[in-house]
Amino acid sequence: MVIKMPKIVKQFSIAGKFSLVFIVLVCFIAIFAPMLTKYPWNQPTGASLEPPGKAHILGTDDLGIDLWAQICHGARNSIVVGIGTAVIACFLGTLLGVVSGYYQGVADLVITALIDILTSIPSLPIMVVTGAFFGPSIKNIILILSILSWAVPARIIRSKIISAKQETYIKVAEGYGAGFFYITYRHFLPQIFPISLISFIKLISRAIVSEASLSFLGLGDPTSKSWGLILNYALNFPGIYFTDYWKWWIIYPLLCIILLVLATATVGREFEKILDAKID
Amino acid sequence: MLKVEILSVTYSGDGQETHAVSEVSFILEQGQSMGIIGESGSGKTTLGLAIMGILRPTAKITGTIEYNKINLRELSQRQLDMYRWKHIAMVFQNGLDILNPLMTVNEQIKECIIRHTKIKSHDADSRVKELLGQVGLGTSVADSLPHQLSGGMRQKVLIAMALACDPKVLIVDEPTSSLDAVSKEEIIELLAYLQHQKRFVMIVISHDFSVITRLTDKMCVMYRGHILEEGLTRDILENPLHPYTRGLINSSPSLNPYQDLWGIPRASEAATEEGCSFYPRCNQKEDICKSQKPKLKYASLERKVACNQGGIITLLKARGINKTYSFKGNKICACKDCHMSIRAGEIIALIGQSGSGKTTLASILSGYLEPESGNIEFLGQTIKQHEFTSQLRGIQMVFQDPFSSINEQFTVLQAVKEPLDILKLYNTDERTAMVKQALADVELACDNTFLNRRCFTLSGGQRQRVAIARSLVLKPRLLIADEISSMLDPSTQANILRLLKGLQNALGFAMIYITHDLDIARKIADKLYIMHKGEIVETGPARKVFDNPKSEYARKLISKNS
Amino acid sequence: MRHQKALKYFATFFCIITLNFFLPRIMPGDPFYFLSSEQGEVAVTYSQEEIDRFKAYYGLDKSMLAQYGSYLKGIIKGDLGYSIYFGSDVKTIIKNRIPWSVSLVLLSVIIGGGVGTLLGCLSAWYRGNASDKFLYSIMVVISEIPAFLIGIFFLFYLAARQGIFPLSGGAKPFADYASWIDVLLDIARHGFLPTLTLSVVQMSGFYLIARNSMITIMSKDYIITAKAKGLGTRRILFRHALSNAALPIATQAFYSLGQAVGGTLLVENVFKYPGLGSLMRQAVMVRDYPLIQGIFLTVTLFVIIMNAAVDILYKRLDPRIT
Repeated sequence: MVIKMPKIVKQFSIAGKFSLVFIVLVCFIAIFAPMLTKYPWNQPTGASLEPPGKAHILGTDDLGIDLWAQICHGARNSIVVGIGTAVIACFLGTLLGVVSGYYQGVADLVITALIDILTSIPSLPIMVVTGAFFGPSIKNIILILSILSWAVPARIIRSKIISAKQETYIKVAEGYGAGFFYITYRHFLPQIFPISLISFIKLISRAIVSEASLSFLGLGDPTSKSWGLILNYALNFPGIYFTDYWKWWIIYPLLCIILLVLATATVGREFEKILDAKID
Repeated sequence: MLKVEILSVTYSGDGQETHAVSEVSFILEQGQSMGIIGESGSGKTTLGLAIMGILRPTAKITGTIEYNKINLRELSQRQLDMYRWKHIAMVFQNGLDILNPLMTVNEQIKECIIRHTKIKSHDADSRVKELLGQVGLGTSVADSLPHQLSGGMRQKVLIAMALACDPKVLIVDEPTSSLDAVSKEEIIELLAYLQHQKRFVMIVISHDFSVITRLTDKMCVMYRGHILEEGLTRDILENPLHPYTRGLINSSPSLNPYQDLWGIPRASEAATEEGCSFYPRCNQKEDICKSQKPKLKYASLERKVACNQGGIITLLKARGINKTYSFKGNKICACKDCHMSIRAGEIIALIGQSGSGKTTLASILSGYLEPESGNIEFLGQTIKQHEFTSQLRGIQMVFQDPFSSINEQFTVLQAVKEPLDILKLYNTDERTAMVKQALADVELACDNTFLNRRCFTLSGGQRQRVAIARSLVLKPRLLIADEISSMLDPSTQANILRLLKGLQNALGFAMIYITHDLDIARKIADKLYIMHKGEIVETGPARKVFDNPKSEYARKLISKNS
Repeated sequence: MRHQKALKYFATFFCIITLNFFLPRIMPGDPFYFLSSEQGEVAVTYSQEEIDRFKAYYGLDKSMLAQYGSYLKGIIKGDLGYSIYFGSDVKTIIKNRIPWSVSLVLLSVIIGGGVGTLLGCLSAWYRGNASDKFLYSIMVVISEIPAFLIGIFFLFYLAARQGIFPLSGGAKPFADYASWIDVLLDIARHGFLPTLTLSVVQMSGFYLIARNSMITIMSKDYIITAKAKGLGTRRILFRHALSNAALPIATQAFYSLGQAVGGTLLVENVFKYPGLGSLMRQAVMVRDYPLIQGIFLTVTLFVIIMNAAVDILYKRLDPRIT
């Protein structure tokens, strides 16, 4: 199934392809941030609130720290939180969805109850509260986001497994003595893969937004410059409204978040369009 | 009157020893008639000739033949001549040269009379005419030459000749082969009448069941010189205990008016000296059968069987099966106190309309479903869930919907190989070879292109064949086919059915064929089970049930169909 | 079935309350240590009396079970503790802020919902049209962008640049009003941008849901019947189609309430609107734990109750389910 990926990507629309390129670009920036920036991201290297110019391409903030460096470094937060959460939540959601759908019985009851509870709780208040009480580190953010996010893919996968389990060929394989692992690996995974993939991408999108929101509130990891955190500082700067500083200090991080979120959402939709058609 | 004990006849020639007859024993009293049935080469004719004492000198004989307590084997040829024809006579197999072409009928019959009785020549003529009259021939026949007579007339002459000296034992060898139906009927009636009247011991040697049924009380089944089964004729026909006997019965058109004819598959390997002679063609052979010669043993009061496993084994025995479903508060009883037993190589048709519970029962019998109560034994062991579907030589089931029973994303190779993969049997190459063999058996292509096709490109009929191939890979002893062709078009249905029956015949597994279609059941079933609303309302040998259904539901069902 | 659902909501309720109870008791470190250090943006020092009061509130000297008991009793009575930073009951503080937030949510849902549904219906009716495709793409893009980012956008283009709207607050501070109308106008001016932001977000959400539901309904047979009867577009759209789509649209809207609340809380911070959102931020900044917990409990329980209400009412409202 994974081998089919290049073929699927070729079928993307222009917007989809652009989005994919953009995401790859951001990942690239995140990984190679130190090499792409002349100036450090956490030390003042210029006059404060310099507009974009030759030295500092995107200008500086109120402390004189280069904005481009901050943004490059902030990309790391977005990518790490985004992909980290997506990986854990997707894995957990798939695993629990399969276990719940296959074994049913007690395991199913427990997992379904958990799913119901988690999906009826609004995510922002909990994130805020846990951030406040447990400290805003990237680890904590990923942890709490994962715990809140695995429920949605689990629910979808569970219902798919329940209907797949009705097929006679599952009964036949069980008749040959096949166990949970064989059936999951050989029969279920190929069918779930598209759903998991789409969930994965949607989770990345959600995670990035959640991380930006938390940072914006001041609950982001203070040791690194997430884009939301830049916005937070900028908006709290007295007089931000009466000056032109927002033209770079606010615009660039804002654009970055919006573009990244839109890009992942677009890629997610493209996959959905193509893979859904295949399933039908 | 006639007692044969451990008679063995061996021919040696070309450095090879052929055991034409091996350790045959039987006892016959006055007035009894016994049939000996077997294929050509079974030694039945040799046996008859041995009793007459006219085997070739190269034949080595061991054992005793006692007539009226006198061991004929200890007599010299001259002494034997006294017994020949006067006491023990034989009606030979009809052939062109069985009678001397240059002598008239009269002369040929007369010479027996003159030899063995005190009757003078001219009295003998009238005796001949009398004899001819008794067999229903006109007196003019006496002066005919053999080639002037029809086959039926020649046979009657042979009978008349055999009866010339009023023998106490008559051996009849294939009395009706090469005769037309009318003549056949006449001969059988004649022999029956004569035997009844004169009360001689009659040994009927034939390969034809209709002859043996009509003429004998007892019979024994011979194969390659061995008696495999012995007992009352009527009982054996209704309930053969040896696989070979059953095979012979299934090959007889007269005994199978509904079913298609299927022969016994030819031998796949040579039989061993030490083992059972039927081993290569037996469908329930085990390793012991290769090394141990079975002895003719009592299986019941009047029946003996020579089989290492005691005759046709019972594969599956289910008693008291109960299963109830609860649906929206209602209880639906799918199976109510069902019993079923299946023997090796048997084909059972489980008939019922939809909702009668037949699929539920099949699922329970194979272990896919747990019954609420009841006991199921497969080869003597209680069935626990998937125990017998997950091993070689166990139970396999082919399901009704070929679209749902195979994961259509799998390739043909993956789908058929799946049981071997799960059970981790054999290595990769062996698995592929077995898949190819199975595909060939179900008459699908087995080249690599086909193996790599994904199942969603196959039609329903092809998928069903793939499903059958998959179930064959574990070499099942029992195959349960659940309405496997009801979702296919009629032509595919017929092909699948033939395929399945052919496989059953060749590979020897027992089969439960579930269907609602009575006509199909008629074509293939040995035994019928009719289910209605969860209960088995009638069961029995197929022919019996179709001819004479006992339960009301069965009667309605069968009359509707005919 | 209904009982099972009610049970689930009760369970969720309970989980939240219990979680709320354990949060301060399992957090790393001592709440007071944190507050007295320089980590917080605003360093606050507490007198011993205040610390004792805090401790008494949490009952940290009693057994866990006893603490839980008094905690539950407090919840039932509505006592949410005492905020040291603000110097008054948490309950009172929250009560004062609620009207601002609730009005934002309500207004945005009504306005955004109304406009969005209307546009969605029209889009569905004229499906495939150039305007439909255009509108659809715009709405999809807006729906993916988080509300607070849209808020920032509006803030800078409409407020800072054009100076049309005030930049923060709910009303002009320390203002003297001539009449009620002036008060209202002032509030309206201040509240315009946050409401606009949230309405835009709601609009995109409702648009997509309405469009989807309407498309499904349009393919139903009774619409063909209506067309065959020669009825006018408006009548078919609203009397026949929309009335059937109304219930699914409404329930979908309620289920996205959780998201809406989250969005509101964040948007308030963009505009420094005096609702629960900015209160929450302040509380977080100074690590005023009782206040944080109070807000958390209020907001979360509110959303759960709304979901439960919709869930239970939905069955009653659908005429096809007896």
